[in-house]
Amino acid sequence: MHETGVVMLDVSKGKDVRVGAVAGAQSRTRLISLCVNGEWHEVAVKPRIMLVEVIRDTIGLTGTKASCESGICGACTVLIEGRPVLACITLAVECDGKQIRTVEGLAEGEKLSVVQEAFLDQGAVQCGFCTPGMLMSATALLERNPKPTRQDINKALEGNLCRCTGYNAIVDAVLQASGQENVKPVMK
Amino acid sequence: MILFDFDYERADTLEQAVALLARLQGDARALAGGTDLLPGMRMENIRPGLLVSLSGIEPEAPQVLADGSIRIDALTRLATLENSELVRRVVPMLAQSAHVVGGNQIRQMGTLGGNLCQEVRCLHLDQKHDYQFVAPCYKRGGTCCYPFPRNAPEVCWSVYMSDIAPALIALNAQVEILGETGTRRIDVEALFTGNGLKPLALSQAELLRAVLIPAAAPGFTWGFHKSTVRGGLEFGMAVLAVALQLAEDGRTCTDARIVVGAVREGPVRPVAAERSLIGKTLDEERMEQAAADTSRVVNPLPHHGFSKRHLMDNIRVHLRRTLARALQRARDQEAGR
Repeated sequence: MHETGVVMLDVSKGKDVRVGAVAGAQSRTRLISLCVNGEWHEVAVKPRIMLVEVIRDTIGLTGTKASCESGICGACTVLIEGRPVLACITLAVECDGKQIRTVEGLAEGEKLSVVQEAFLDQGAVQCGFCTPGMLMSATALLERNPKPTRQDINKALEGNLCRCTGYNAIVDAVLQASGQENVKPVMK
Repeated sequence: MILFDFDYERADTLEQAVALLARLQGDARALAGGTDLLPGMRMENIRPGLLVSLSGIEPEAPQVLADGSIRIDALTRLATLENSELVRRVVPMLAQSAHVVGGNQIRQMGTLGGNLCQEVRCLHLDQKHDYQFVAPCYKRGGTCCYPFPRNAPEVCWSVYMSDIAPALIALNAQVEILGETGTRRIDVEALFTGNGLKPLALSQAELLRAVLIPAAAPGFTWGFHKSTVRGGLEFGMAVLAVALQLAEDGRTCTDARIVVGAVREGPVRPVAAERSLIGKTLDEERMEQAAADTSRVVNPLPHHGFSKRHLMDNIRVHLRRTLARALQRARDQEAGR
């Protein structure tokens, strides 16, 4: 277990903070508790800090990627209470007391999850930047629907963009992870 | 991170949220799913001093009322809508329209009310002002419309992109609006002003509480299509929603509602084309004519790089197919009975 400490996330680094519509007003810093992959963290955040920044910069789990930062690409997908959501357009203060799973929480020690193994086997990774998001979306799909069709998988992964055009291998990997017959393992 | 400072309050009830919004006089915004508001704040199109979070308010489950109409809480997530067995059975068009919104993560976060209250879009507007190297446009409080420089003063030609609003208007749905003085109920159609600068007929301290959809009469059939390039995670080129009421012979149309979305500042109803179908036998020729008439009167705004001509053709072809599909659905249901 890591020790749970209070971490201040002060993005202004001592410089003047640009103040928004309320002239002269300063927003309150809040103390929130997040359970990330089974470990509780207490973090002090301003309301304008996004969940992905807390996960990456404060907690230090850099598996979750921040890419478009406007809710388009899906690279920052994490599971909040089992639902795949975009950490780059979720305020950290909104996640107080919530259970969050990131890509680091999939493997148990050295043992990769079924979805991760299937991604490896199908070669569903090229540059790997979209992979954490793809894995989280796929994990959420398989938890809700253990035997998805190809169409179900396409729909579940439509919010995750891959610029290396690896979609076929990725869909095959999810099918393989679901234990369905119609995909041949490539390397096993 | 959002580049300006703002405060955050979590409301326990919708009434509390409305009171907070009223007290801040336009400096506060309600935060539901945040999939439209937070990217807008990142681009600094919207700069509220306070966000009133509605995430602590649990939405009521969709329920069928005594008169057969269905009431859906505005805070219902889109993923709940598309997967709800009740919604899929009673109002399949609504489930279908929720199913085509954004991507899966967006549907897991976004709410029904938030989808209806989304900001209008324009390629010029939806970028950070720091990168524009021009004075602000009308929507940002400036003095010019850059994509349409010959626009009349104070006219913003941005496009309202909701996929769900056209379906709700076709279904003749109403919204329940909670304000400071109490609840009022208006047609979803009346929610849209047609003015890009202020697309919604809501005051600063009003929130959508619920959507009410009347029960479908026998002979009701529907068609819905979102015309897209990729087929996922994008805004529609045009969104077509059709609700037809057929007589007992299954061919004569007794009532028709056609709604075209994602082409103007609000969803558009081509009333003349609707009338041309009422009381007539629906055949291919008549449906084609109605689609062509609609495409002419809608006058789509060029958006997302599509030309007006392209959008007009798009509406004509897809509306014809949507009408045909609605008729086919009625026949399939008849055959399956």
